[in-house]
Amino acid sequence: MIQLFHLTKRFGSNIALDDITLRIKRGEFVFVTGPSGAGKTTFLRLVFGAEQPASGHILINAINLNRISRAKLDLLRRRIGFVFQDFKLLPNKTVFENVAIALEVAGLRTRLIRKSTHQTLRLVGLAEKEKSYPLSLSGGEQQRVAIARAIVKEPLILLADEPTGNLDPDLTRDIMALFRSIHQRGTTVVIATHSRELLEFTDCRTIVLKEGKVSGDTG
Amino acid sequence: MRLRFYFIRQALTNMRRNLTVHIVSMGTIVAALLILGAFLLLFGNIKGWLQQWGSALTMSVYLKDNTSAYKRDKIDSFIRALPGARIRRFISKQEAMDDLKAALGDEAGFIEELAHNPLPASYEIIFDKGKTDAIEPAQIKSQIQALDGVEDVQYSREWLKRIEGFLDIIRLTGYTVGGLLCLCVVFIISNTIKLTIYSRKDEIEILKLVGATDWFVRMPFLLEGAILGILGGAVAVLMLFSGYHLLATRDVYLIGPTPLEFAFLPVGYLILLFSLSLGLGILGSFIAIGRFVDV
Repeated sequence: MIQLFHLTKRFGSNIALDDITLRIKRGEFVFVTGPSGAGKTTFLRLVFGAEQPASGHILINAINLNRISRAKLDLLRRRIGFVFQDFKLLPNKTVFENVAIALEVAGLRTRLIRKSTHQTLRLVGLAEKEKSYPLSLSGGEQQRVAIARAIVKEPLILLADEPTGNLDPDLTRDIMALFRSIHQRGTTVVIATHSRELLEFTDCRTIVLKEGKVSGDTG
Repeated sequence: MRLRFYFIRQALTNMRRNLTVHIVSMGTIVAALLILGAFLLLFGNIKGWLQQWGSALTMSVYLKDNTSAYKRDKIDSFIRALPGARIRRFISKQEAMDDLKAALGDEAGFIEELAHNPLPASYEIIFDKGKTDAIEPAQIKSQIQALDGVEDVQYSREWLKRIEGFLDIIRLTGYTVGGLLCLCVVFIISNTIKLTIYSRKDEIEILKLVGATDWFVRMPFLLEGAILGILGGAVAVLMLFSGYHLLATRDVYLIGPTPLEFAFLPVGYLILLFSLSLGLGILGSFIAIGRFVDV
């Protein structure tokens, strides 16, 4: 599903990722962890095609991101959900509109967009809040809206960057349960986190990054 | 079809969010098109009037003072023998003076003080419309001028040529001013759309992150420019038409005592103005959208 070959990413003279080679299989649930600055976010952004590697190759479903056209990358992104650390919600759009946007870009029928958005908001427990605006929601609710937007298009891969970073333990549990239910539906889930608590009680594969290199992999 | 509605809805939302900027932008389109349209309207009408005037060939033959009746008879006979020529009127020195006094009205006082009448007697000749194409006025002019007793000969097309030269200069000026105005319009629309893009920067970034193609993001902005162009064009044409109605109800005298007919722009010109407005709108937004946030 996701293959990285000798992947290196530099920002000026700083090396964010250094010669990484690994493979994430279809349907896996993977944590990418490491201290701040280890390269977790860069790792996710490279997989998402939001960054270009300095060297090496990334293959998503056997498609080489180095050789893909801009238009095809746009289409590929419709099959990858991304939950951003800062949520990236639009404050002047309702919860419903924030989620529906992911389907509108695909040019789906309005009826289908409505149906899928309602279903997804029900799944994340926000059916009652679909007419609310993001700024009127709690941090946990905003996080769930961001997750809903990422999964509404039923992606093959779900990438999440520190999805529980600002949440209390109860909300963290709820959000993780949500990720598990999404995973059980067949989606490959990759979560970047520096939270040790999150990893302590998990039997999922964990890739540890340190100074841009893979320093551990339980897979 | 679904996307078309989405794009239109999005473009209208963009316009509503930055309403003041869009109104100002539309105002500049209207102003530019009004100037251009008014120029076309006036230019078209003047050209029409001149063509109308030029199609009837008239000639004035001025006589020397104290031309004898014998010489005048000879001139008279010569004119009558010209193909298609008709003497519309013989104007004696006194009649010329009376006409001038009538034209000057209250201001004619100083003429009374003149020791002698300086105005020449003249013939007004008109040529039949059907035969004017076959007539060479310059040749006839030199033939009449050679007659004994003739001081000077002038014909209408001589003036027409001079006015046409003047019109060419006006036309060139009009096109230059029009071109500059169009550039201004493109610049203003482009900046208006840039403001919209700036205000939607976050949304564009998110659209790109969830897989929107470049055209999906661009289309509402292009439509926004097109809508500005359409609205601006429509308002300008309406205002031009209202202005025309105000003018058309009054008699306009330019040449001669007959009021001139004032015509509105032909449909072709209206379509041209409208297309220009639409084109400028789209071009302005096209320049603005250039490259989008690279995500």
